[in-house]
Amino acid sequence: MDVLVQIIASGLTLGAMYAISTIGLALVYGSLNMLNMAHGALLALGGYVCLYAMTVLGFPAVAGVAMAMAVCGIAGLLIYHLAARPMLASRNFETQIFIATIGIGAVLENVILRVFGPQPVAQPLKVDGAVIIGSVYVPNQNILILGVAVLLMAVVAFVLNRTRMGRAIRATAQNRDAAQLMGIRIGKVYAQVLMISGALAAVSGIMISSLSGLLPNMGGDPMLKAFVICVVAGLGNVYGAVAAAIVLGLLESLIQYVFGVQYSFAILLMLVIAVLIWRPAGLFGRTQVVRM
Amino acid sequence: MSPAKRDVLVCIGLAIVLALVPLVIGTRYIITQMTLFFIWAIVVTQWNLVLGVAGIFSLAQMALFAVGAYATAMLAYYFAIPVIVAMPAAALITVAASLVIGAACLRLRGPYVALLTLAIAQVIYLVVVNDTACFTNPPSGCLPLFGGVRGFSRFGDLGFRALLGSKFYVAHYYVGLSLAVLAVMFSIAIIRGPLGLAFKALRDNPGYAMSRGISKFKYQLWVFGLSAFFTGLAGAFYAAQFGVVGPIVFSIAMLLFLLSMIVVGGMGTIWGPLLGAALLMLADEGMREVGDWRDIGLGLVLAVFVILLPKGLAGVRLRRAKAGL
Amino acid sequence: MSAVLDLAGVSSGYGHHLVIRDVSLRVEEGTLAALVGPNGHGKTTLLRTISGLVRVRSGTVSFRGRRIETLRPDETVAAGIIHVPQGDLLFPDMTVLENLRMGAYLPDAAQRESQRLEEVFALLPKLKERQAQLASTLSGGERRMVGIGRGLMAGGNILMLDEPSLGLAPIVIDQIYAVIQSLKSSGRTILIVEENATRIAEMADVLHLLDNGSFAWSGSGSDFLSSPEIIATYLGA
Repeated sequence: MDVLVQIIASGLTLGAMYAISTIGLALVYGSLNMLNMAHGALLALGGYVCLYAMTVLGFPAVAGVAMAMAVCGIAGLLIYHLAARPMLASRNFETQIFIATIGIGAVLENVILRVFGPQPVAQPLKVDGAVIIGSVYVPNQNILILGVAVLLMAVVAFVLNRTRMGRAIRATAQNRDAAQLMGIRIGKVYAQVLMISGALAAVSGIMISSLSGLLPNMGGDPMLKAFVICVVAGLGNVYGAVAAAIVLGLLESLIQYVFGVQYSFAILLMLVIAVLIWRPAGLFGRTQVVRM
Repeated sequence: MSPAKRDVLVCIGLAIVLALVPLVIGTRYIITQMTLFFIWAIVVTQWNLVLGVAGIFSLAQMALFAVGAYATAMLAYYFAIPVIVAMPAAALITVAASLVIGAACLRLRGPYVALLTLAIAQVIYLVVVNDTACFTNPPSGCLPLFGGVRGFSRFGDLGFRALLGSKFYVAHYYVGLSLAVLAVMFSIAIIRGPLGLAFKALRDNPGYAMSRGISKFKYQLWVFGLSAFFTGLAGAFYAAQFGVVGPIVFSIAMLLFLLSMIVVGGMGTIWGPLLGAALLMLADEGMREVGDWRDIGLGLVLAVFVILLPKGLAGVRLRRAKAGL
Repeated sequence: MSAVLDLAGVSSGYGHHLVIRDVSLRVEEGTLAALVGPNGHGKTTLLRTISGLVRVRSGTVSFRGRRIETLRPDETVAAGIIHVPQGDLLFPDMTVLENLRMGAYLPDAAQRESQRLEEVFALLPKLKERQAQLASTLSGGERRMVGIGRGLMAGGNILMLDEPSLGLAPIVIDQIYAVIQSLKSSGRTILIVEENATRIAEMADVLHLLDNGSFAWSGSGSDFLSSPEIIATYLGA
């Protein structure tokens, strides 16, 4: 029983963290068929900016998070204007933007490395204490992560469903030509989506680093996991991505308990490959659309 | 002259010139670096076939290279098989690995292939690095099955050291050159031959090509498997050349370095990737002084080329030639 | 009468390939102009060029006295050009109502959303019944109606319909034509692309035959119907 509570508690935390960064990737892919390989570097950037704001500038936690979101949002915007926009008309856009963002990610990661050094640092944004369920300690940090993640997902759902900007994003993702014929300026939508994705990456990066510490290359594995989640859900499917993130978080936590941490990712991936052989467009996949 | 004939002649000409190099240059460092160039030349020509010709957006190339290198080291280390025998065996093991990866990935659409192959490469890396249980206990200390973080060393060599003494690196140079020439010839055969035509047909008119019985999956799997042979062989020769195989062959930096060679030179062309390999190795040599900035420079080169010059340097040359006509 | 839409020497296409060559076209206020011709000869491309989805290579496009050939699609919509594209291009994961409301996305149209919605429901009562249904679950005829209704939600000064009868059953085609007839009667300016030349000719004030990227014949709908040799030459009927 206690084991089950432990697995569920840590699985939900993992799933919530994955979901936040996965939503951003799914929105970007859904809108402009772009796999942003600089996402991992944005996770790290968000974590380090929060660290910098809190320790060097002496900002309170909320301001640190806000600053991280702003910086990563602007970084997303720059990626759109400097890399994606010039290539949008190209026939090989998907391949080219993939390679270009690998390059951008490498630059960003190594700049962080130059500025903050290679040694691991603890994320200052962390709450102490724990809640005891049965005989299981659930750290308050995990509960905070879960709470913030749920809140953010609600905000994203609200924006997508109830705001003019959200309707434009959904329309663009579902049919690019039709969206333009409704009077939507899709270039603006692309820019907005990359900004949102960057801001979400910042939050996700802060969450991840609050549990496992800051390293310049900390974003690599979480990014790969987020992409794997997107793939399982069917690329571009936002709600499927949230569901898949939570399921995979729980699964990872279970695998970690049964087989040990070092094999969790490998086993997870083999499961994903099996899923893809079974359903090549992802579990919930039809095509790439932002589903409501 | 047909393009295929011209390419073969260029290849032979280059091979002859390169074969003369050790007679003129005696510096060991230069010869060794050129041997490394041959290894990378093999990898990028084969990766180019996968990426630029077959249109498979695979990032598993370095993982396949690593399979070749590790298989050589492990066969030689655990079973005391001579390296010269282990090398072709390792290449075949690489082909087998590529067919498994290909069967799992190739039915998927472009971006899915990229993500899955990258993830598979990462899994192989994690399995190698995270496995810390001692498999054997040689005098040098605990050794996990896949070598762990340290990797393998002292698994023997090609035997030229015993034969030629300190000049063995010249023999390695010629081995590398021969393998590279084979790989380039193979690449010419693919690009100028029926497989290349089939892929061109699939790109230009998928419907017609399919109605003529051209199965994309089947052809892609062929290219994927065949190019894995030379990639594995390059990995095997890498193991033989350096006598050490460690997890560094999986590093993102190395992947970036080789991908940049293809992108800078020109994806899908025969000579572009080779030109890119030469240029990037020279640039890397030049950046040795500013080692810390190497990866930043590499990332910038990759991004800037894709954005501003997506067809690479070979593309510029082609455009010029067309404009000249 | 004044020309709402005026194209002069327009060429456009994809990549290095020109699909439209030197086309000049005037659509007068309150008339129905039809573009007919064999498949693959540029009818759809011409509409896409006017709405800005395909870039104009040379020539000019004027709309209500304003030059629009360099505008993006979202700007031509704001200027008053409503393009109901071929194949409907609905938003599959939105309901019928959400699809219609997307038509009124721009601020001017959004202000009149509820009023226009009533007008659309009055014209296309089936949509009122189906309003909560996902667009991807509709029948072909219903989809076509959502496409037209979504266009009408934007208001606009010209309605461009691309093959509104394509792929529909004869009885549904009759319904769609009835809708087009009532739109025409209400005084709307309409530019329509049609495969079925003789049927649209009965309704069209002006008809243009597009062959290989340029106009092979232009005239009134009734002239067209009384020129069997034209019909036989270009449409093989």
